[in-house]
Amino acid sequence: MVKSTTKDAQDLFHSLRSAYVATPTNLKIIDLYVCFAVFTALIQVAYMALVGSFPFNSFLSGVLSCIGTAVLAVCLRIQVNKENKEFKDLAPERAFADFVLCNLVLHLVIINFLG
Amino acid sequence: MMNLSRSVALISLFLLPLLSFSFSVDNPTDRRVLVLLDDLSLKSSHSIFFNTLKSRGFDLDFKLADDSKLALQRYGQYLYDGLIIFAPSTERLGGSLDSKSIADFVDSGRDLILSADTSASDLIRSIATECGVDFDEDSSAMVIDHTSFSVSDVDGDHTLIAADDLVKSDVILGKAKIEAPVLFRGVAHSLNPTNNLVFKVLSASPSAYSANPSSKLSSPPQLTGSAISLVSVLQARNNARVVISGSLQLFSDRLIRSGVQKAGSHNQYEKSGNEQFVTELSKWVFHERGHLKAGSLVHHRVGETDEPAIYRIKDDLEFSVEIYEWSGKSWEPYVANDVQVQFYMMSPYVLKTLSADKKGLFHTSFKVPDVYGVFQFKVEYEMLGYTTLSLSKQIPVRPYRHNEYERFIPTAYPYYGACFTTMAGFFVFSFVYLYHK
Repeated sequence: MVKSTTKDAQDLFHSLRSAYVATPTNLKIIDLYVCFAVFTALIQVAYMALVGSFPFNSFLSGVLSCIGTAVLAVCLRIQVNKENKEFKDLAPERAFADFVLCNLVLHLVIINFLG
Repeated sequence: MMNLSRSVALISLFLLPLLSFSFSVDNPTDRRVLVLLDDLSLKSSHSIFFNTLKSRGFDLDFKLADDSKLALQRYGQYLYDGLIIFAPSTERLGGSLDSKSIADFVDSGRDLILSADTSASDLIRSIATECGVDFDEDSSAMVIDHTSFSVSDVDGDHTLIAADDLVKSDVILGKAKIEAPVLFRGVAHSLNPTNNLVFKVLSASPSAYSANPSSKLSSPPQLTGSAISLVSVLQARNNARVVISGSLQLFSDRLIRSGVQKAGSHNQYEKSGNEQFVTELSKWVFHERGHLKAGSLVHHRVGETDEPAIYRIKDDLEFSVEIYEWSGKSWEPYVANDVQVQFYMMSPYVLKTLSADKKGLFHTSFKVPDVYGVFQFKVEYEMLGYTTLSLSKQIPVRPYRHNEYERFIPTAYPYYGACFTTMAGFFVFSFVYLYHK
């Protein structure tokens, strides 16, 4: 019984990995960017847990910039993914332009709130 | 006719400055004192006391207590600055005086010395009750003390007491310690416990009691021990001072001149402490000592000289006040180390003791607390024997403006770094995404 579950987990892992390798490169780049942003956010949360939340607005600003840009990158990935039927008619350039504009607004607000 | 009226007007114009040389805020020593006696022989039997007053510049006006022309005020102006009532047996005061007019006299800020004796009338008792002092209801009772009497007591009934339980106050009794006991012979009184402005200056020893010396005690005496006050003093809230004594003989020449030896003690004094006691007490009651005046409160930020209209939280400020004491002739700087200032809004947020310099300037500096609102600088100074000082000045305190907060806080450097790293990451990502192959 135990042997079969570990074999199932290994099979699952291998199938996920091989499916992921097949995704297009631009989507993989977006995924990498999202991981980087979330990782930065986690570092900040760990720092706040260590030091305390004294300039709370600065903490929020830092975390929100990372999470916000990650969310926008996820939206870009959804819109650009060719397997997504819903956004078949949306030009990928338009999606990328939206992404850049939203990020600009996000970072403007973040710098203002940073204090 | 015209010349006469013009010359009278000119003369009165020259006399006008002299008229203002009486009781005033800048010159608080009393000058004109009305002395009410029930027997004009008191003028000579108490001459030492009256002469000490006259030598200090008081105008004493001796009148019989039932003189029908007595008046304390005329056309709304008080004619006298102080009142001495040495008329213990007077039932009714003459003229326009009664216990209400005497109460009004004290309410106007003027001083009173009241003395009862063995035959104190109801009028004197009612005046004393107004001041928070209750004489023994038994009119024939005197203070008897079988352990603290004076050995020169000729009657042998131990009513001439040698009292040395004086209040510990340099303001009221002077800096020089009164060595010899004070001779007292008269009635006892107690203080009204609800009155917190009256206190004992000379109290009886724990073995004293108040009873009729010529009859046997039928029931335990009501007033006993240290609850009996021989001489009490009241400083009213308007800083009028009242001395109430249970003995007229305390002020008399006979007791002032006599020597004293307390029964059971080997110390024999050539002169009793009476003269020093009544002289120092009269100096206090007529405002020659212990009368304080405060200048205005001054506050400003450290480094500035103007008083700002509003402070910000966590400002550093300096506070100062000037206090002077009347010495009998001039205002001297007051020196003490217990004047405090409160920075008060419903409760004191800051309470600091002011440090005095020798010129009467009390100052301190502190940080405005981290609370905003409308505060008051309050100086409340109530020491025994001194006039009460109650000063306050209101000042608002505002929170930080939006551009007064701290910037570039070191603790937040990781957050700043993270924001800029994210922006750089976004920039790099967009290049890589667009131009990858």
